[in-house]
Amino acid sequence: MSTRAPAAEPTVTLRPELAARAEIDRSCRAPVLVFAGSAVFWLVAGSLMALLAAIKMHTPGFLTSWEPLTFGRVRPVHLNMTIFGWASMAGIAVLLWLQARLARARLPFPNLLVAGGVVWNVALAAGLVEISIGHGTSVEWIEIPLFWALGFAAVFAVVMAASLTMFGRRKVVHVYVSQWYLFGAVLWFPFLYLMANVLIHGGFTSGTTAAATNWWFAHNVLGLWLTPIGLATIYYLIPKVIGAPIHSYHLSILGFWSLALFYNWAGTHHLIGGPLPAWLVTVGIVGSVMMFVPVVTVGINHHMTMVGHFHRLKDSPTLRFVVFGGMSYTVVSVQGSLTSLRSINEVNHFTHYTIAHAHLGVYAFFSMVMFGALYYMLPRLTGREWGSARLIKLHFWASALGIALYWGPLTIGGWVQGLHMNNPDLPFLSIVSGTIPYLWGRTAAGVLMTVGHCVFGWLVLGMLQPRHATEQATQPSGVAQPGEVEA
Amino acid sequence: MSPVYWVVLGVVTAFALSAVGALVWAIGQGQMEHFSAGARSIFDAGEPVGTPTDAFPGTARRGEG
Repeated sequence: MSTRAPAAEPTVTLRPELAARAEIDRSCRAPVLVFAGSAVFWLVAGSLMALLAAIKMHTPGFLTSWEPLTFGRVRPVHLNMTIFGWASMAGIAVLLWLQARLARARLPFPNLLVAGGVVWNVALAAGLVEISIGHGTSVEWIEIPLFWALGFAAVFAVVMAASLTMFGRRKVVHVYVSQWYLFGAVLWFPFLYLMANVLIHGGFTSGTTAAATNWWFAHNVLGLWLTPIGLATIYYLIPKVIGAPIHSYHLSILGFWSLALFYNWAGTHHLIGGPLPAWLVTVGIVGSVMMFVPVVTVGINHHMTMVGHFHRLKDSPTLRFVVFGGMSYTVVSVQGSLTSLRSINEVNHFTHYTIAHAHLGVYAFFSMVMFGALYYMLPRLTGREWGSARLIKLHFWASALGIALYWGPLTIGGWVQGLHMNNPDLPFLSIVSGTIPYLWGRTAAGVLMTVGHCVFGWLVLGMLQPRHATEQATQPSGVAQPGEVEA
Repeated sequence: MSPVYWVVLGVVTAFALSAVGALVWAIGQGQMEHFSAGARSIFDAGEPVGTPTDAFPGTARRGEG
């Protein structure tokens, strides 16, 4: 446990920079905890739904007597719980805190943001009920009906206003690279979300145009929302945790601007082989291949920053998760660029390979970075220490081994499945049967990850308990340490 | 060809142009100069360069500042 100091010591005066940071963290406390706590709840719930869906893939008769538990509803419920519940709410929590830290400004509109957290949860819960009772839209990643989707859009507007206000009040002249990434997320994605919902659900699209809009949006959930937040977090936390600036600031800036230019073109590579104008798909492929530029710059930069500091992975929970996430970003992005090539896509399309790839991005990269960020943030916001180092390590290894077991076999199984599907001599049913061992592996991996999430949920629950008057605060950013007190 | 494709392409282009606009603004504001100082802008006297700020509970201080 860290060096301790009294929780409420009336005579203590912190050094100015510590007091300022403590004040910034304090201003974030309520909104960030609402979003972070909700995110972890949806993570655990979404994991259970994922397990259910995974079991149904190899045992299709499992729990099918009640319609809400059939695969066609459980799977989108899992997706929406994890993307809009876990990933987006954790992302907003980290985004708000990180931006306040970067601007060295208090978080504005705390009450409005807390209300936004409530609205988000209500809209999501209502949307999930709609999907469960058969009122989902059946448009992947936009399954929640438009009315509830507008609830998310309203919260995005509040988050955007808070973000711009903090930037306007910033006390640091230089705009750090993480801030650029956060702007990418908070200024582009809400427009994209609203546009996709209105175009698809407003009756402006049908058939192939709906598919093109759908996959332009769905790919950019990762590209313009989760990726910028994840990379912003990595660029802040690795230097802060190891106490060293990033290896090449030039590369980091090049990485951001190239991502800003190329990523949002990439979505139509999901429709290779589909009945769309060829040029539209080719635009997506070109955008995807150009993504090699930001990916290589980010990969080199993260690795070189860590050189000489890898031993710190033993000591820091945050660093373990964030570095794992950063390495996964490189792998998933290179895989994604290669997968967009027509010659490769004709094998992996419509197979489990794509599912493994999506989980590598959203889980191995983004979720692991968010875990690391929450391990760093929550002690500083709550004034308490994590309950158990052993449980943190259990969470890490269950998640890391779980996603490795998920991605590896399912990638191989999916590729074999694709090769077989391209062979007209093989009966389709035998190809489906051939995937079953890989699907059992997927379920085993899901059990591991769910165990990790339950452990994480337990640890977070301990952090969110109200502190007793006699309990002392541990060392988060603003609590005085010996030698740090002025008077 | 459906006008929806042009709407999507228009928004994609608008995003790219906004990135170019932000880049021009950043250059005009001097954000592309003094990169070394920029890289150190997340550190301060309370959490200076050379000071690790995270550790497992029970193993070391979580942050030196």
